[in-house]
Amino acid sequence: MRYNILFGGKAGQGPNVLTNLLGDALAKKGYYVFYSRDYQSLIRGGHNFNMLTFSDKPIHSNESKIDIIVALDENTLRIHKDNLKKNCIILGGKYPNMHFSGNLFKILGFEFEDLDRELKELKRKYKENVVEAKKGFEEKKCEIELKKIKGNKGKFLSGTQGIALGAVKSGLDIYYGYPMTPSTPILGELAGMQEEKNILVVEIENEIGVANAGIGSAITGAKTMIGTSGGGFDLMTESLSLMGIAEVPMVIYLAQRAGPSTGVPTYNSQGDLDIARHAGHGEFNRVVLAPGDPREAQELTNQCFYFSQKHKVPAIVLSDKHLAESYYILPQKPKIVSVGKNTKWKRYSSYEQGPNGSSTEKPELINRNVEKRIKVGKEIIKDSKKFPMYEIYGKKNSKNLVVSWGSTKGAILDSIEDLNCAFLQIKYIEPFPDIEKLLKGKNIILIENNATGLLGNLIREKTGIKIEKKILRYDGRPFLSDELEKDIRGNLK
Amino acid sequence: MSKPNIDTGSINTWCPGCFNFQILAGFRNFLGKEIKTEKQRESIAMVAGVGCHAKIYDYVNLNGINTIHGRVLPTCMGIKIGNPNLTVYGFAGDGDAYSEGISHLIHAARYNLDVTFIVHNNQVFALTVGQPTSVTEKGYKEKTTPEGVVLPTLNPIKLMLSARAGFVARVFADVKQIEWILKEAKKHKGFKFIEVIQPCVVFHPDKGYKEKTYMLDSKNHDSSDIDKAMKKASEWDYDGIDKKTKIPLGIFYKEKRKTFEEQHWQLQKLMKKKKSWRDIKR
Repeated sequence: MRYNILFGGKAGQGPNVLTNLLGDALAKKGYYVFYSRDYQSLIRGGHNFNMLTFSDKPIHSNESKIDIIVALDENTLRIHKDNLKKNCIILGGKYPNMHFSGNLFKILGFEFEDLDRELKELKRKYKENVVEAKKGFEEKKCEIELKKIKGNKGKFLSGTQGIALGAVKSGLDIYYGYPMTPSTPILGELAGMQEEKNILVVEIENEIGVANAGIGSAITGAKTMIGTSGGGFDLMTESLSLMGIAEVPMVIYLAQRAGPSTGVPTYNSQGDLDIARHAGHGEFNRVVLAPGDPREAQELTNQCFYFSQKHKVPAIVLSDKHLAESYYILPQKPKIVSVGKNTKWKRYSSYEQGPNGSSTEKPELINRNVEKRIKVGKEIIKDSKKFPMYEIYGKKNSKNLVVSWGSTKGAILDSIEDLNCAFLQIKYIEPFPDIEKLLKGKNIILIENNATGLLGNLIREKTGIKIEKKILRYDGRPFLSDELEKDIRGNLK
Repeated sequence: MSKPNIDTGSINTWCPGCFNFQILAGFRNFLGKEIKTEKQRESIAMVAGVGCHAKIYDYVNLNGINTIHGRVLPTCMGIKIGNPNLTVYGFAGDGDAYSEGISHLIHAARYNLDVTFIVHNNQVFALTVGQPTSVTEKGYKEKTTPEGVVLPTLNPIKLMLSARAGFVARVFADVKQIEWILKEAKKHKGFKFIEVIQPCVVFHPDKGYKEKTYMLDSKNHDSSDIDKAMKKASEWDYDGIDKKTKIPLGIFYKEKRKTFEEQHWQLQKLMKKKKSWRDIKR
């Protein structure tokens, strides 16, 4: 059972409030809920929508066809008319948006108390809202009777919240950032935790400033994280190289969006795999980890702190718009490892250093430093083996194997339920896991939200295996599970 | 307990007669009085950029970082935020401060962290062998600028006054002046901008700058008046010297403003407990 509800309207009309209300109530009834946000780069007007999918089984993505559409403006119906199911319930007209909350709760068989509780929890304009909601509730009749089920016990979490929680659970002290979609929400998320968690969030004049302020704090021993997207990360690359030579522990949150350049700022892409791996001049160590859902966002952010603090390297959490701004219900608790705090207050340098901390040009000292970095690189590889560097889902012995990374995980999990195939999710980009044996002799299907199959290139670099079958999406939108299922099915043997 | 060594022992590679020796000596003299114990040595942080000025990091045994070109100030900020109990000194050249990192300079004045920033202004990119910077006078010629500089100079003192820096000073690269201004800066809480006129003996030699200078004092200047400071700053625009040139030195402007640290309770807490984030166990 899967239902898809679309909430659409102009920016500022508040589809988010409605989505949250219903999502929360569904979750309390035991249903699994996933919702994503599609919004344009503007503040008022335009067309924004949220797509909420719920099920009695775990759900991690949306489908393309709509069961109920809440059209807060006329444009919404026009834009989505081709995706409405035959018996799609259409809610529209010029009402305040709480009217639609009443409609929805009645149609889905909730009691009014359920809605009343949500409105109280909203803690704003309760008196006005409840009147309007009541009108909307009484106007409709129940069409989809949802029974209370013993299903999920989890809470909503977005990828952004996952990263923030992972950081705080790892002992974050200071976060530096400069606003850039889709990394911006973490600034607010962490700033809101300052008092409770005794952390400090600072916005700096640009991403170069962010990276270098981060370095300054990190060398005093503060656990420091910085965050950015696309072009902002480009600006940080000279500092990434500095973290490499000076052995500065730093966690960098890189939230991908559709590029190149300004690209499509509020839409999704997995186009930054290569820059995460290669940014910065010279040869130095780094860690790059790519979570596929908010639980993994917590775990892999935590592991980034672990590696950066233990081995004194920059560690990148590679996320994207779809993960950052989608809300999931994941019952399993994250596994968090303890992270040390032992950075020495000493003499650091962007130069190769001699024993007194001053710059050196002596070949034997350069060799010593370079070889030390190589040794640390090997230690990181050894250390990474204690973490699950990849996951396998689905029918593990199938000859068909879907391979992917990052936020595509959700749509893939939801699309392979009835298919004869397994799914290999790569979580460790750098260091890269030993996956050659898993791939040998399989009918491999590569799925990525980019145009050239960057993970496919990486797999070929590491294993020599060239993946011919690719399902790539590069229009800025995430995969939808029903469409993806068809595409995968067409590639199975 | 013996006094900690503030000399790294590294071989000095500045040119013979370089005015950077004066800055180094002035800083060492100042440190000699500040540092009696290893704990005191560790309580002072030093940051330098890239260029001739930055070699000062190689010669002074203080903790900190010899960072990349142009990024001295955000790094100083990060250190101060990371441990607000440290006293932070940033060193930069005119290329660092007024070209590559100029945005950071303007914002550092706004943030007003309690950090001392010393610009070695030799009016030239010296370590890359003599290209003009944004404070090189019109007509200056060298290999990459065969027809001479055509652009006007920046006036960093005016820039800093406009950016609302709370302590704006200029001295000549003279050991006594350096020591004096560092002591003055120590008395002020907030961002301290100190420019040092430091002729480059090879690419931008002293054509009599020092003779053209005079000191600002309470008789000829009111350092609490920003308009007067602006006027004094306008007396010399870094555009060479002639018979009439007068170069005012000393403190142009002082204004007590709330520091960044004072406005963040997290940092206030650390300062009260004399702790850094590193000491916080979670």
